[in-house]
Amino acid sequence: MEIIAALANSFIELFKAGAATFVSWVTGIIPLVIVLMTAVSAVIKLIGEDKVYSMAKTATKYTITRYTIVPILAVIFLANPMCYSFGRFVEEKYKPAFYDATVSFLHPVTGLFPHANGGELFVYMGIATGISNLGLPLGDLAVRYFFVGIVVILIRGVVTEKIYTMMKK
Amino acid sequence: MYKSVTIKRGKAGWGGPLTITPTDSRNKILCVTGGGIHPVAQKIAEMTGGIPVDGFSTGIPDEEVMVAVVNCGGTARCGVYPKKKIFTVNLTAVGKSGPLAQFMTEDIYVSDVTEDCITFADVEAVTASVKQVETIASQAKTKAQAREELAKMNAGKKKNIITRIGIGVGSVVNKFYQAGRETIDMVIKNILPFMAFVSMILGIISASGIGNIIAKTLSPLASTLPGMIGISIVCALPFISPVLGPGAVIAQVVGSLLGVEIGLGHIPPQYALPALFAINAQVGADFVPVGLSLGEAEPETIELGVPAVLYSRLITGPVAVIIAYISSMGLYS
Repeated sequence: MEIIAALANSFIELFKAGAATFVSWVTGIIPLVIVLMTAVSAVIKLIGEDKVYSMAKTATKYTITRYTIVPILAVIFLANPMCYSFGRFVEEKYKPAFYDATVSFLHPVTGLFPHANGGELFVYMGIATGISNLGLPLGDLAVRYFFVGIVVILIRGVVTEKIYTMMKK
Repeated sequence: MYKSVTIKRGKAGWGGPLTITPTDSRNKILCVTGGGIHPVAQKIAEMTGGIPVDGFSTGIPDEEVMVAVVNCGGTARCGVYPKKKIFTVNLTAVGKSGPLAQFMTEDIYVSDVTEDCITFADVEAVTASVKQVETIASQAKTKAQAREELAKMNAGKKKNIITRIGIGVGSVVNKFYQAGRETIDMVIKNILPFMAFVSMILGIISASGIGNIIAKTLSPLASTLPGMIGISIVCALPFISPVLGPGAVIAQVVGSLLGVEIGLGHIPPQYALPALFAINAQVGADFVPVGLSLGEAEPETIELGVPAVLYSRLITGPVAVIIAYISSMGLYS
C-alpha cells in the first residue's frame, strides 16, 4: 500500500514542475500580451489596411524597400498569414524573394508587436522568459531582435532573388 | 426584372458568399444601421431591383425581407436575423459571435461587406445586363427613381450632430471591442494550448532528470558561435527545413528549452539574440507554396520558388546568426 502511495506521489511530482511553469507563464506573460495585442490591433483597425496599399505599391519598385518596408507593413498590418497577400503588388520574378523576406519577419516582429503572429509567440517568448528569470529587462532584446530582423530579411530577399534568377535561366 | 447578386465577405470578414434573388413576395432589403439607408443596402437594391427599407423607421413583416443589412459589433443583430433564417449582411467585421452564434452559418451570414463585395450572381446575369444597355434609358430612369425614393426616405430626418457623434464613437468603440475579442480568441485558441503542452513537457524534462542531459549537450552548443552556426545549418538543410517548419512548433519548443537554460545560467544571456535566429533558420520553409499563392504567384514561379527559398536559407541562415552575434555586443553586459 505504501509503495502504491509513494508511486502516486512521485507521479504527481512529475507534473508539479509543469504546473508551476504554466502558472508563471499565464500570470507573467498573458496579461501584458492581451493588453498589448488589443491596443495595437485596435489602432491598426482604426488606421485601416487600405491606407498602406499605395505606399506598399510604390515601395515594391526598389530592391531595398521591397525587402524591408513592404514586408514590415504587410506583417504589422495584415499579420500572419494574410501578410503574404502583399505579394500581389510585387513583380512575378521577385515573388519568392518577397515571400522569404516576409516570412522571416514573422518572429522578429513579435517582441514589439505580438498581435502580428499571436499563434507563434514562443520562439521569442520562450527565450525571453529565461532573460526575465535572470531579472534582466526585455526591451533591449526586443528592439535588437526587431532591427536585426530587418537586416536579415533584406539579405534573405536579395540572396533569394539572385538564386531564383539563376535557377530560372 | 429582378436579378440575383452574390455578396462576398470583406477583407476581415467571415461567412458567405451569399447568392440572393428577390421574388415578388420577398423583395425588401431591410437596413438596420442606425437610421437611413446605408450605401451597401442601396447598392443591393439597385442591382437586384429590390426595395430598400429603413428598419429604424419602418416595420415590415419578416416574410417580406430578402436580406438584412446590419452594422452589428457582435452581440445581437448579427445573430437575430440568421436565427430567423434571413440572409444577413454585416458591415462590421464580426465572425461567429455573441449569444446567437450557433445560428450564424456561412450560408446565411457574411461580414465586413463593402459596396465592392457585391457582384451579379452569374455570367448570364451579367450578359443580360449588357443586353439591357440598349434599354439603358429606361434602366437609368429606374435608378434615378430609386435615388429619388431614397432621398425622400432620408429627407426630413437628416442625422443631427449628436446622432453622428454617437455613430462615430460607436464605430471606434466597436473596433476596440473587436480587437479585444480577437485577442482573447487568440489566447484561448493558440497561446494557452501551447503553454499547456510545453509546460507539461518542460515539467517532465526537469522533474525526470532529462533536463540535466539537455543542459550538458544543448547548452554548450548554444553558447558558442560555431555551435549556433551549426544549429542553423542543420535547421536550414533543404530536406529537413520543411519538416521542422509547421506552426513553428519545433522552434517554439526549442526556444522554450533554451529559455530555461538561460534562466538557469547555463547559457549567457547575450546569446539569446543569435539563438533566436539559429533555431529559426527554417522559418516558413513548409509554407512556401501556400504563401506564394496568397501572393498570387503563377504556378511556374511556385515550382522554382520553393527550391530557391530552401537553398537560399543555407546561406542566409548562418549569415543571420553571425549578424545577430555581432549585434548582441553590449547586450546584458
